[in-house]
Amino acid sequence: MIKPITDFAKQFNASLNWDERLIVWKENRYFLITGNMKRLLNEDFFYAGTYLGKVKSEQFFPSFSLLQMISEQQTNKVYVDRKSAWLFICGRDIFKRGIVRAEGAKSEGSCILVLNEFGECLGFGRLVCGLDREEGAVAVKNISDIGDFLRREEHR
Amino acid sequence: MSGREFFLNRYRELGWKHEQPKLRQAIRINTANTGREEVIRRLESRGIKLEKISFVEDGYWIREAKFSVGVTSEYLLGLYSIQEAAAQIPATLFNELKGKIVLDACAAPGGKTVQLADLMQNTGAIIALDVDKRRTIALTNHLERCRVKNAIVYQLDARQASRLGLKFDCILLDVPCSGNFTAGDDWFTRRTIEDVERNAKVQKEILTEAVKVLRDDGELIYATCSLEPEEDELHIDWAVKNLGLETEKIDCYGREAATSVFGKRLDDSVANGRRMWPGQTQGFFVCKFRKREAE
Repeated sequence: MIKPITDFAKQFNASLNWDERLIVWKENRYFLITGNMKRLLNEDFFYAGTYLGKVKSEQFFPSFSLLQMISEQQTNKVYVDRKSAWLFICGRDIFKRGIVRAEGAKSEGSCILVLNEFGECLGFGRLVCGLDREEGAVAVKNISDIGDFLRREEHR
Repeated sequence: MSGREFFLNRYRELGWKHEQPKLRQAIRINTANTGREEVIRRLESRGIKLEKISFVEDGYWIREAKFSVGVTSEYLLGLYSIQEAAAQIPATLFNELKGKIVLDACAAPGGKTVQLADLMQNTGAIIALDVDKRRTIALTNHLERCRVKNAIVYQLDARQASRLGLKFDCILLDVPCSGNFTAGDDWFTRRTIEDVERNAKVQKEILTEAVKVLRDDGELIYATCSLEPEEDELHIDWAVKNLGLETEKIDCYGREAATSVFGKRLDDSVANGRRMWPGQTQGFFVCKFRKREAE
């Protein structure tokens, strides 16, 4: 049942070892709950525990909590400076000069988590040029960032 | 019956003389996700100056900010919530929340639900209800942003809480109410006493249902942001006389609730409630109940 989530994590070279009995599914959305919550859960629930993401048109869209959990492992990630962090939250891409440190895969096309100076995950993107290259404009193409919480508000 | 003078006369009868409130925006640090000092330091480095709110543990007034505190990365990471100062009080009035089963019966937009999770350090479980789908979605966005792990949300009318088949250790009833004029001066022209009575009827129904799902040794907090006694003291009096509840003394900001309302003498224990007239905070009312022990 959790294959879409584990497959997603693999793109960052991360593995998730969860008790599948604590993952619940509602419509197209996945949640991680505790054993105690499972005893209280009624099938009509709308949201429960930690939201992990949703499947839409056979594609998995991760939650920011899931991205944070993946980022706590040894995975593909870049730490960016304060200005780049802010631009990323505003939906912009990451320039190579804004990257302070990189871990994991550095080759073009890799999925990569974007972390701020405090190690907090701001979202993820895809490397559009190898990080070992000297120059280059955009290094990480933004796919999803926590500014989404504000954009959701605007849409309401 | 409505209008500015009509309502202000009522407040005068309850012992309050209208003063223009000096409201300030407030935040509450989500200590389940971060340390207080850390957030203060990070916000100050962005030019946001904070001042501790004396009557709530994790609350701070915004003293100075060059931009909205709702658009910082710290906000988007769920390190703090924007939450009015008086609204930070009710969740703190439970004796002990860790490991408990808690009902937040009218939960959206979720400020108090996140605060409950914080106080519970994400242990136990919160069952959060809201009847409106859009508001329920806003609630879940709030829970997701603040990384709450122990809430189960249902789109359900609080008046049907017993359908869940659960009993709760703690219940927070932040009931839908008429609000108060600090939300905007047009409040006086928008609201009538008929609105107040209509809200009061729904509040009674919610309170009645909540008592059915409260454990015998459980605690119930009733709160509104209404200044109208029909939604506050009169309900407390009615609940004490009809629902087998007793009020409990609380130590928090605000004045004793009124025990004499428009010529009607109420049960003395109603005074255990707290009424907050607009000033530093918005108008607010809160009361703590327990079930009366069977005689």
